[in-house]
Amino acid sequence: MRKYLARRAVYAAVTLLGVSLSVFVILRILPGDPLVAILGVEGHAQMRPADRVRIMADLGLSDPLPVQYVRWLGDIGAGRLGKSFFRGDTVAELIAHRGPISAEIGVLALIVSWLVGLPVGILSAFKPNSLSDGVARALSVLFIAIPGFWLGMLIVLALLFWFGYKAPIVIVHFWQNPWQNLQIVIGPGIVLGLAQGAYIARMARSCLLEVISEDFVRTARAKGLREGLVVLRHALPNALLPVITISGVLLGFVLGGSVAVEQAFGVPGLGRALVIAVIERDIIVVQNLVLLYAVIFVVVNVFVDLSYAWLDPRIRYG
Amino acid sequence: MSDHTSDPKRPASVDRRTFLKRVGAGGASAVIASRLPAPGSAAAQDATLRPDPAAKRGGTLRYGVHTAPAHFDVHQSGTVANIGAQSPMYDTLLRRSPKDGQTIIPDLAWKWEISPDGKKYTFHLRKGVKFHDGADFTAEDVKATYERIARPPKGVVIPRTPLFATVGDIVVVDPHKIEFRLTEARPKAFMLGAFSSGWNIIVRKKTLDENQGNLRQVMAYPGTGPFKHVSRKDKEVWIMERNPDYWNKGLPLVDRLEVYHMMPFSAELGSAFLSGKLDYARLLDPVSWRKAKEMQGVTAAAFNQSVIQAVWMNMKKKPLADVRVRRAMHLAMDRHTLVEVVKDTAPMQVGGFVYPFHEMSTPRAELEKKLGYQKDIKPAVQEARRLMKEAGYGQGIKGLDFVVRDANTFKLWAVAIQAMLKEHINIECNLRVVQISQWFDEVGGGNFDLGISAIVSSLMDPSDYFSAWYGKDGPQNYSYWTNPGFHDLANQIERELDDTRRKAMVRKAEDILEQDPPLIPVSYEQIYDAWNNKVHGQNPSTYFGIYDVVRWDQVWLA
Repeated sequence: MRKYLARRAVYAAVTLLGVSLSVFVILRILPGDPLVAILGVEGHAQMRPADRVRIMADLGLSDPLPVQYVRWLGDIGAGRLGKSFFRGDTVAELIAHRGPISAEIGVLALIVSWLVGLPVGILSAFKPNSLSDGVARALSVLFIAIPGFWLGMLIVLALLFWFGYKAPIVIVHFWQNPWQNLQIVIGPGIVLGLAQGAYIARMARSCLLEVISEDFVRTARAKGLREGLVVLRHALPNALLPVITISGVLLGFVLGGSVAVEQAFGVPGLGRALVIAVIERDIIVVQNLVLLYAVIFVVVNVFVDLSYAWLDPRIRYG
Repeated sequence: MSDHTSDPKRPASVDRRTFLKRVGAGGASAVIASRLPAPGSAAAQDATLRPDPAAKRGGTLRYGVHTAPAHFDVHQSGTVANIGAQSPMYDTLLRRSPKDGQTIIPDLAWKWEISPDGKKYTFHLRKGVKFHDGADFTAEDVKATYERIARPPKGVVIPRTPLFATVGDIVVVDPHKIEFRLTEARPKAFMLGAFSSGWNIIVRKKTLDENQGNLRQVMAYPGTGPFKHVSRKDKEVWIMERNPDYWNKGLPLVDRLEVYHMMPFSAELGSAFLSGKLDYARLLDPVSWRKAKEMQGVTAAAFNQSVIQAVWMNMKKKPLADVRVRRAMHLAMDRHTLVEVVKDTAPMQVGGFVYPFHEMSTPRAELEKKLGYQKDIKPAVQEARRLMKEAGYGQGIKGLDFVVRDANTFKLWAVAIQAMLKEHINIECNLRVVQISQWFDEVGGGNFDLGISAIVSSLMDPSDYFSAWYGKDGPQNYSYWTNPGFHDLANQIERELDDTRRKAMVRKAEDILEQDPPLIPVSYEQIYDAWNNKVHGQNPSTYFGIYDVVRWDQVWLA
């Protein structure tokens, strides 16, 4: 197990190094001048060559690329993550302030996806081709097809025009005011969760359909167990592995989807910060946030892999 | 010497027309001067902007506007992202009255004089004014501020620098008197407009010295303004509190100002206002604004903004170097439809090459009789086709590279303009949507045929933007346009001190631009504001832009 963990850690480190290098290079070869955002349209138009040299030097952008890259890695190692080009706020501060909101949305989305996806999948699997199965499948396809940001906008507009309601417009952390905090995260969490829940429902249905035709399920029924126990104790644990795997993958969708959904709901989370940083070409913020998302994705997938051994005694890592 | 003061025995403000007339009546100034209160007297100190006698004090004003600045240096900025939140913490030498947004009234300078030759501006500064850090405000701070604006140090770029191109020496006469000596006279309305610009906030000399003249990353540098910094959450909210030691006694009227960051024309801003989470919203999208207008207990206003939306044509490319092709493209635009196309995205109005609402430009009714601005575009299109044929492009032009800034309005317009050019004069272009930073890279490098974007000016006065937008080597002359006749005339306009002659010259300049277009004017922006009726003291209907009257000191809550 230790060997396996060490091997996964090395793979993860290599993956993250690759991500860091890719994002660093891509951001620097993309066309566009970050000084437009800093100086504004008029200021940029008036900028003299000497001004450009001075500002680029101030921002650390005139150093050779390898120097910039190593400096960034150094900043990550020191936990500073660098400073925004513009206002001098550190990216670590940004993550500390906005990260909890995005994390809550991610966790809520995960919970909603399981709470909705699993029962729907079970219902469909145990009454295949019934009316309830048809409805569940149709809804699954619907929620997979609907873009989260669009659904988010509809919800925001409906709440506004029908009830004159809008969630708080600044970040309120859970420990500051749980009720207001819930109002901020619940919308994006549900929208993201429903989309992921649709995938989970489909996956759970197909896995369960496969498992319930196995001998051990028939045996369980034959010995007189109630259907609920057959499902919960025998069929479901054996059908969960692929569902857990897809949950790890779906986390990537949640992270990516949160960028647009946070924007639609006007939630000032990390996803929204990333959108603004991309528009402003605040490359220090972009590269750190992309790397953070990559770290989360890699770590969650390691945990998913490790959970296999716990869920399925046949699997052993050596 | 003409003389302007905040003597409470006279009307507290002097509008520009009156001011110019008074300047002409030089002899009267001595009489007026004799009636002035002594500098620093209580009468003079109190006369600038008075609180509404009916005003109530206290409360928190929740104001939504774009306030996520790329940096904190107001002088170096050209966006409401800075001025929207920061200006309540600062004062200027002179200011525009919040009553009409036009009249120039005293601010940190309680009185000013202009020499008869128009080459010396003397400002008498208020005594007893303190910065938020407790330091005294003196003429040295004004000198340091304006030296920096007029002659920025290396690595500091200030869009208002050209306004003070003729400022030579800035001389501190005593701690409360300062002279600006011009190398060449400029129209007084232009110079006073420059001194009144909301951008030109007075900052401490010590602050500038300590930061090598660069305040981009200094968040809350001390000002003398009505509100003091309390806290700021990036891209969320900037909170300020009443400055209890503000020199203008009785102001500000609200205890606390919360400036929320909301993107312009966004559903987020509209929903925050409509749901009652904001008391005042600026830069509302048209849909929310119309909804706000229908709401009880809410007032909505529209006013002019200092922005032109335009298409630039790269004159280094052969077909576009031909004046007939450019004029044909200008005439092929159905401007009323272009305004209609974006009516749910951003408020716009038809205009030509000069702000259509400026007193020197062709009046709107007259403009709409001209080819290119008529509602019936057939005559303009006929003329456009004739010009294309004459230029040898009767069969049209294919494959123009049209660089479009990635914003909703530009994308909508680009499609409409593409269709108009194709349908009216058979010009085919390929749209290329790019982020703003790339747009300036492409256009600045000449890597385009057509490009659509927007640019702003600080003043409504043509001399501010004629050189920047249309001047030879002007920083925003993206078309690389030159016209010696226009450049000569623009120079004369800059120097002409007589208003009537200046107006005639501006009209002549308009004619040149119409015949030899340096760009295709698409439209001029408007601003939509709305506020809860409990907010009093601010009605922007007659304001020009969102950069001058932005201090909120006169606003009170019922």
